[in-house]
Amino acid sequence: MQKIEAVIQPSKLDAVKDALVEIGVQGMTITEARGHGRQKGHTEFYRGREYSVDLLPKVKLETVVSDEMKDKAVDAIMAVARTGTIGDGKIFVTRVDEAIRIRNDERGEVAL
Amino acid sequence: MQNDETPGNGIRGEYQRRMLAIRDAFEAGATGAATIAARAQAMDELIVGVWSQATETTPELRSGIALVALGGYGRSELFPYSDVDVMYLLDGKVSEERVKQPIRRISQELWDCGIRLSPLTRKRSEAERFDPDNVEFALSSLDHRLLAGDAAVYERFARTGLPKMLERDGKTIVQGLVDLTAERHKKYGDTLFHLEPSIKDCPGGLRDVHVCAWLKTLAGASTGTKASVDGEQSVEGEEFRQAVEFLFSVRCFLHYRHDRDDNTLDWQAQDAAAGAWMGMERRRAAREGGADAAYWMRQYFRHARAVERNLTHMLEVTPPKQRGGRWAVVGKAALSKVRRQPEPAVVGYRVENGRAVLGVANGAAGDPAQDPEVVLPLFAAMSRTGYGLDRASEERMSQALPLLSAHLEEGPVLWRHLQEILLGAHAGNTLRAMHALGILELLIPEFHGIDALVIRDAYHRYTVDEHTMVLIDTLHGMETPQTSPLGEWAGRFGGILRDVQHGALLYLGALLHDTGKGRNTGDHARESALMAENVAGRLELDAYESELLLGLIRNHLEMSAALRRDIFDLETVRAFAGKVQTPEALRMLTLFTYADIAAVHPDALTPWKAENLWRLYLATANYLDRSVDDERVGARVGKDLVRRVVGVLPGKKAEVEAFLEGFPERYLRTRTPEQVRMHFEMAQRFAEDKVQLEFHYGPETSEITLVTPDRAMLFADMAGALAAWGMNIVTADAFSNRQGVVVDNFRFTDTFRTLEMNASEHATFVKSVHDAMAGKAAVEKLLAGRRRGRRKAPKVVVQARVDFDDEVSSHSTLLQVVAQDMPGLLRSVSQALASRGCNIEVALVDTEGETAIDVFYVTRHGAKLDPDQQRELKKELLKAIEANAG
Repeated sequence: MQKIEAVIQPSKLDAVKDALVEIGVQGMTITEARGHGRQKGHTEFYRGREYSVDLLPKVKLETVVSDEMKDKAVDAIMAVARTGTIGDGKIFVTRVDEAIRIRNDERGEVAL
Repeated sequence: MQNDETPGNGIRGEYQRRMLAIRDAFEAGATGAATIAARAQAMDELIVGVWSQATETTPELRSGIALVALGGYGRSELFPYSDVDVMYLLDGKVSEERVKQPIRRISQELWDCGIRLSPLTRKRSEAERFDPDNVEFALSSLDHRLLAGDAAVYERFARTGLPKMLERDGKTIVQGLVDLTAERHKKYGDTLFHLEPSIKDCPGGLRDVHVCAWLKTLAGASTGTKASVDGEQSVEGEEFRQAVEFLFSVRCFLHYRHDRDDNTLDWQAQDAAAGAWMGMERRRAAREGGADAAYWMRQYFRHARAVERNLTHMLEVTPPKQRGGRWAVVGKAALSKVRRQPEPAVVGYRVENGRAVLGVANGAAGDPAQDPEVVLPLFAAMSRTGYGLDRASEERMSQALPLLSAHLEEGPVLWRHLQEILLGAHAGNTLRAMHALGILELLIPEFHGIDALVIRDAYHRYTVDEHTMVLIDTLHGMETPQTSPLGEWAGRFGGILRDVQHGALLYLGALLHDTGKGRNTGDHARESALMAENVAGRLELDAYESELLLGLIRNHLEMSAALRRDIFDLETVRAFAGKVQTPEALRMLTLFTYADIAAVHPDALTPWKAENLWRLYLATANYLDRSVDDERVGARVGKDLVRRVVGVLPGKKAEVEAFLEGFPERYLRTRTPEQVRMHFEMAQRFAEDKVQLEFHYGPETSEITLVTPDRAMLFADMAGALAAWGMNIVTADAFSNRQGVVVDNFRFTDTFRTLEMNASEHATFVKSVHDAMAGKAAVEKLLAGRRRGRRKAPKVVVQARVDFDDEVSSHSTLLQVVAQDMPGLLRSVSQALASRGCNIEVALVDTEGETAIDVFYVTRHGAKLDPDQQRELKKELLKAIEANAG
């Protein structure tokens, strides 16, 4: 099993969720986040005050999929989240040793 | 422990057969009240039977000991999986040690029958002594009845010992009860609105029903009379009775469904209860087709509200210092505010102990309950101060509704009253009270469609009407500092609230924004706007106010929608700016969106969302200021706006179009057609007098509008003429058309209260400004003679700053000046511009606290300023600002 963590633009969340559901991924966790990559932020000036925008709003989406599904899921995310401009985000993939459904103690891929 | 109801032999068998029959009867349609009473009776027979058998073989049980039912069982209310609370009450002469084993055997026998027995043993002297650490026992003792055993022991307890304890310790018990109730309510967020409520413990649930009964008993005990509560036979008493019956039925349903003492109305249980029309009249008749779960939950919330209101009334008759939790606030805060206010003239009501009490009906003056000029100001006062309404007064108002309706005048009078109610800090609770009485629907019939309306999903915690009230609470909450995680954001958005000029429209928009949900057409924003149009018509709002109100409601989802796009993309900002169009509409929609999200669910508004909302607001505010110059009325732009003005000047279409051409759209969007007509008519009088002025005095801020042909130093001279009189300019804008006609508007405060204290000076003031602008009086001479007040040290020091932007306009340079707000600042700034040969194409002047924010679109010889010119101008401006600060 593989855990996919995708940090994406908030405006892409609905499209990414739909794309994952379409390929059969059912479970995911969404977290509101702020961050930056190489692009850092910028400073805005309004009514006499400076507001630094050094951490931009992002959304982190996490899902665990079977090994066979991993590439399909990553490709689905890339296809809809990419705009080609700085700030599109990143995807991280890590291995998952075990998954357990709390309600009925199902384990392994069947718990996904 | 399972409740084994398999029929057997003897007493136990009979009990189990009875319980099965009772369950069958319930499932066939018997009421909750009948079911729990039948269960209590069956339990009585079992317990009495077991006791009788025990006394045959155990002589120690035959005297000096009584078996007493307590708590819910003591009330003969036995739910399917509730505990059975019994007390073995021992006379003083009985040795506890001697009866310990027989008591244990009886309890064991009952446990073996599958009863959830909760026994305790008390000497009579113990039971009659109040333990401050065990308020719960004292409360359960309030509901008691003899089951078996020595009646004399019970009688001494019930008729003598317990009443003496209540008389002695009643106040302390009441305090303990109020504190426990406040703590329980706090655990549930002080709201009855939960997606999956506990019908026992949530506010508005069965525990609150018990609290009402206990307060009644304790009140009676303290006066030595059989307690009765005002309004018991009233309509509200009937509402409460129906609510209790509903909750009884639902609790029985949940216990049978879950096979345990589980009182949570979870999602699936709601579907099942709705399917069986549980608790509703139709239950016995319906054989096919259940109710919609959202409709059924609407009934639940209506009943819960009736219980909560009854509890609030019971607590309001409790002495003020005994009220705990949120009920304590109403008393103290209201009393302290009321004491500070001067006594009003005879207004048809008085205030007693933090509650408004309607005056008596007087043959000559009539019944105040029927008089809108008493009732509506009363609610306005409640909204300002937070005090409640006496129960008897509520009933009089409910009964007087038809006559109140007959006397109600719509139009500006009604709008004035509504504004006072909406703008009070306690508007939310006041509107709730008005809604419960039917008075809100009298004023705004459109509100009826969302009464207790449920939106059944995982996000919307509140019914639609309660969501509206929470939204209004949230807006008002921004006015005071908060310590919550969102406190910093509430403070920041509160700054926007202070800048809103049409606050009453914001709150009216909040009140109406979801009324369209009652129509269920799928586009509630549009439906709500249609309904609001009717309201605006009845209140006789002018065109500008109507458009602000309807725009807010029509667009109330737009900002949330924009947040789901890339808020740093100029196209997103431009599209959103196109929806709001003016800074005032943007402020209102931003505040509304903040409060709307917060009012969906307590966790809905996160700091992340608040920050994104703030960023979108900044970007759009900047865009609106930066796009003024390029968006001008012309052949292809602003047709609708022009048509509105032509509409109020029939027969002058060509002249009006010529007058309007070249003005920024902002000018038309921030004026009513009537105001634009006035400016047009002023311009038509240039032949008589080239300097046309319109002045409006106001106790807080006054306003003066200048319409005149453009010339050099115009704006600086006007600012100087006002400064010479000690007027502090708060906001200003200046626009010009293609013909070179300028419309400058200034709102200002009167530093030395000259105009306030001398009404006769108004004409002198206007003449002085006129002469200065007509060149008949030198502005410098006027300024030299001006009064200078002592300048207080500023609370917030603002660093002066000058910024240029060449990109925003195609033909002028945008200049933003931010500085410490001081008298004479605008004069100094505009004089510096004039000295550098700059022409002001558009001016937008604003003040936020102690910060002056001046935005100018300037040209020099008809072109943008080059970098050198900008550099020189910046030096000049900073020098002028420093000189003015003195």
